[in-house]
Amino acid sequence: MSADPLISVKNLKKHYNDGSIKALDDVSIDINKGEVVVIIGPSGSGKSTLLRSLNLLEIPTSGTILFDGTSVTDQKTDINKLRQRMGMVFQHFNLFPHLTILDNMTLGPRKLLKMPKAEAENNARELLKKVALEARAGDYPSQLSGGQKQRIAIVRALAMKPDVLLFDEPTSALDPEMVGEVLDVMKALAKDGMTMVVVTHEIGFAKEVGDRVVFMDNGKIVAEILPEEILKPTNNERLNTFLAKVL
Amino acid sequence: MFLLELSVKDWWQDLKDTFILNFITDDRYMYLVRGLGVTFAVTIGATLLGVLLGVIIALVRSTHDKNVHDMRPGVGRIILIILNKIANIYLTVIRGTPMVVQLMIAYFVIFVSVSQHKIFVAILAFGINSGAYVAEIIRSGIMSIDPGQFEAGRSLGFNYAQTMMYIIIPQAFKNVLPALANEFIVLIKETSVSGYIGLQDLTKGGDVIRSRTFTAFMPLIAVAIIYLVIVLFFTRLVGILERRLRNSER
Repeated sequence: MSADPLISVKNLKKHYNDGSIKALDDVSIDINKGEVVVIIGPSGSGKSTLLRSLNLLEIPTSGTILFDGTSVTDQKTDINKLRQRMGMVFQHFNLFPHLTILDNMTLGPRKLLKMPKAEAENNARELLKKVALEARAGDYPSQLSGGQKQRIAIVRALAMKPDVLLFDEPTSALDPEMVGEVLDVMKALAKDGMTMVVVTHEIGFAKEVGDRVVFMDNGKIVAEILPEEILKPTNNERLNTFLAKVL
Repeated sequence: MFLLELSVKDWWQDLKDTFILNFITDDRYMYLVRGLGVTFAVTIGATLLGVLLGVIIALVRSTHDKNVHDMRPGVGRIILIILNKIANIYLTVIRGTPMVVQLMIAYFVIFVSVSQHKIFVAILAFGINSGAYVAEIIRSGIMSIDPGQFEAGRSLGFNYAQTMMYIIIPQAFKNVLPALANEFIVLIKETSVSGYIGLQDLTKGGDVIRSRTFTAFMPLIAVAIIYLVIVLFFTRLVGILERRLRNSER
């Protein structure tokens, strides 16, 4: 184990309506480099809120998040610089419909990393090859299927060469037959040693790829289990009933 | 039969004479040609100014509406609130008063010192007026973009302004292009009140002919037909534009 975790969350709280709704209720978690952490839990449990807090798409009410030693929550931190190193993949893909696939992938590297156009495009084409979509470089997002869009969204995030990828229910908006192709890309990434935080309902993925599975309920982390333990009954009643429902 | 033929002939001759009197004699058609040039100059200038103003106001208003609730207290928030107030006052005043009154205030009250440049004053007045309407069109375009687009931009590391510039505005602009083109068409007709500050646009050109020849029918109908042809032309253009946009990558 390396000495310092890549992401360290301490006592994170997110309250709405002056504290009557607690989306996150004192959450602490460490994520190490190269680790695949899968967050599961019923809807409304706060798993997406936790994930979106990591790159400050949600602003937490209190608590701290350290990313590679820098405080994400500190107002003096340039959050845009940190976000460049934290890729995010969304449930609804959020590709830019007015740009071609190639431009979707090169916009960030060119404008933010100041990468020359040729280099950014070469990188993008290399990445497209990895997801077997190099032929679609000149197409627009609307010409792709859901699974293809999500694969592009993943490589768009990868084009920024991030230290960690955050996945917010990446397969929830997909037709069942397209889930596999997206999960395959994620598995390959995990094998390459990418640090990943994945909010998902795909228990199979959690079991196969996850290094750790975190179960959230009512804004709290109520259980942390190893992937191989998923099918075994635990001493946590809430987790058992959840798993019984989704498996 | 013979009488009827004669009267038709007379009528035709009459029409020809009035036409010649109104447009050919003393090259009077030039009033319309020059007027048309002025109408276009004012419309195009005002459109450019209007779009510029409209984008700025729309950005202020949508930034305020989207962010002010979860912004950290500080100078930035106060500036945004003040800018938004100014934008709202501008929208209220411009959209709540008649164009002609605004034009006359611009010419006789505000820009007295540059009153020899009537076109300049007209472009300012019509541009400031159009900006208010353009602002609301563009704001609706910005608000119609899926918030996920914004989050995707921010998650890559773009700041607010860059996300707006590279991701939101291009999409918003595309969505409201037909509405903007309609605003341009409306503006063409609105400039017909330029005569109030003595600017010889197309309408005033026709009116000058009327005052010279003491015949109203021919010059005024001619002016109306010219407006109609221009408007029909641009309406067709907007129609083609709309179809193109619908067919493109959405």
